[in-house]
Amino acid sequence: MKIALEVKNLQVLYGEKHVVHDINLKFPANQITALIGASGSGKSTVLRSLNRMNDDLATVQGTIDFHGININQPQVNVYRVRQQIGMVFQQPTPFPLSIYENVIYGLRLAGEKDKQVLSQRAEESLRQAALWDEVKDQLNESALALSGGQQQRLCIARTLAVRPEIILMDEPTSALDPVSTSQIEDTLVQLKEEFTIIMVTHNMQQASRAADWTAFMHQGNLIEFDKTATIFMNPREQKTADYLSGKFG
Amino acid sequence: MRPEKIDRIATIVILGLTGVVGLLIISLLVYILATGLPNISWHFLTSSAEAFKSEGGIRDQLFNSLYLVVITMIVSVPLALCAAIYLSEYAPANRLTSLLRLAIEVLSSLPSVVVGLFGYLVFVLKFGMDFSLLAGALALTILNLPILTRSCEDALQQVPYLQRQAGLGLGMSKWRIVTKIVLPAALPGIITGIILSAGRIFGEAAALIYTAGQSSPAIDYSDWNPFSPTSFLNPMRPAETLAVHIWKVNSEGLVPDARAVSNGSAAVLVITILLFNLLARYVGHLIKRRLVK
Repeated sequence: MKIALEVKNLQVLYGEKHVVHDINLKFPANQITALIGASGSGKSTVLRSLNRMNDDLATVQGTIDFHGININQPQVNVYRVRQQIGMVFQQPTPFPLSIYENVIYGLRLAGEKDKQVLSQRAEESLRQAALWDEVKDQLNESALALSGGQQQRLCIARTLAVRPEIILMDEPTSALDPVSTSQIEDTLVQLKEEFTIIMVTHNMQQASRAADWTAFMHQGNLIEFDKTATIFMNPREQKTADYLSGKFG
Repeated sequence: MRPEKIDRIATIVILGLTGVVGLLIISLLVYILATGLPNISWHFLTSSAEAFKSEGGIRDQLFNSLYLVVITMIVSVPLALCAAIYLSEYAPANRLTSLLRLAIEVLSSLPSVVVGLFGYLVFVLKFGMDFSLLAGALALTILNLPILTRSCEDALQQVPYLQRQAGLGLGMSKWRIVTKIVLPAALPGIITGIILSAGRIFGEAAALIYTAGQSSPAIDYSDWNPFSPTSFLNPMRPAETLAVHIWKVNSEGLVPDARAVSNGSAAVLVITILLFNLLARYVGHLIKRRLVK
């Protein structure tokens, strides 16, 4: 099995507060990995550390191995890292621009000027995010007029357009209605052919539906990491079983 | 007492007090316009002021006021915007930053007479600018900077953090996020702040008496060379503004129709500031609509 990203001895501190203890994880390539756990378990903190989004907020120690390079080092260019390891957030955040301009935003910033490449990539990304059919006739209209679910798929398309290898998703559907949620889950399953997806979710059904692998975290520790089916049907740890059956969380 | 009763009393008291404020402002406006408007004519707006005779106009004073606002804005907008960007996006939360904020707050509560005197000592005498538009503009910049910085900072802060985060997630640098995401989104608020502060300094008198001067030498509106001493564009010429004119005509005016001139000038001043405010609303609204559309 190919590994897209490997985390070794990851520790995160907010000031004096130790929020993530010594995590070791291997994220398989072209798979969806879900991080689950109660609020405050550190799952979002781990996710945000993976592309250095915690740089200004917390101290992150340990190794994050991406293609043999430890990207958790000060001399590594964080902007390059984030172009390779993109991120989609909880709230849809389209920029106040047209749909088309939103999709190619990151690409344009990366220096791409060729109009043909841009429009080709825009269509490709919108198709991958399963939004093309809904917006192809209104590409020049404001992205703010789209529904919440469409906006979130637009943000996914915007991340895809930069062609990252890995996409991090921080509760990508928690602000959306059930229909939009299932559309996005379907989209994710399509996307793993080309991308590695790591997502944080509060929704255990979502993890069981969409994820191939699941990591369960509790109070800053990684309790269990395995195939999703194993975690849900046959967990090794009592804590995992308790959480999944709703005894806490 | 029952809660709905308390609520009703509170509502009546608040409504009453709001009514007092509104009535005060409206009656003031009505009074100024009623006494001033009859004195405004095309002749009044387009002829120069008289020193001893009646029937003088305010052409030069009106132009000076507008021109001074433009020069002040050219100086203060870049400064205020940069300071606001630093405070909103870059400044770490430490003692130096809070000291900086304190300094800005103190600056904003400085009396304008003090600013005028400072301008006289530093710009007019020390830097040898004499009584000039430039000295006046620099004094007004001191008055304007804190308010403008604050309104620009507020406009930047209004941009949701999520937008910045989205930019970070796409691998944008901080400076790019500021220039490409935050500034465009904050533009309506920034422009509204600029126009409103322009209205505020348009009516300033005390800071200008000893900086831009109280005299209005003959100027030539066909001379477009800003270095020519008689050109209307020359920033080094002394320039009496409309607000200073009102003060001067009232305090030491020798014209027989001093009252009419100052009433008319006051009305012009108020109407112009009103126009500034309406423009601010309109422009802000326009840009916002263009962004959302």
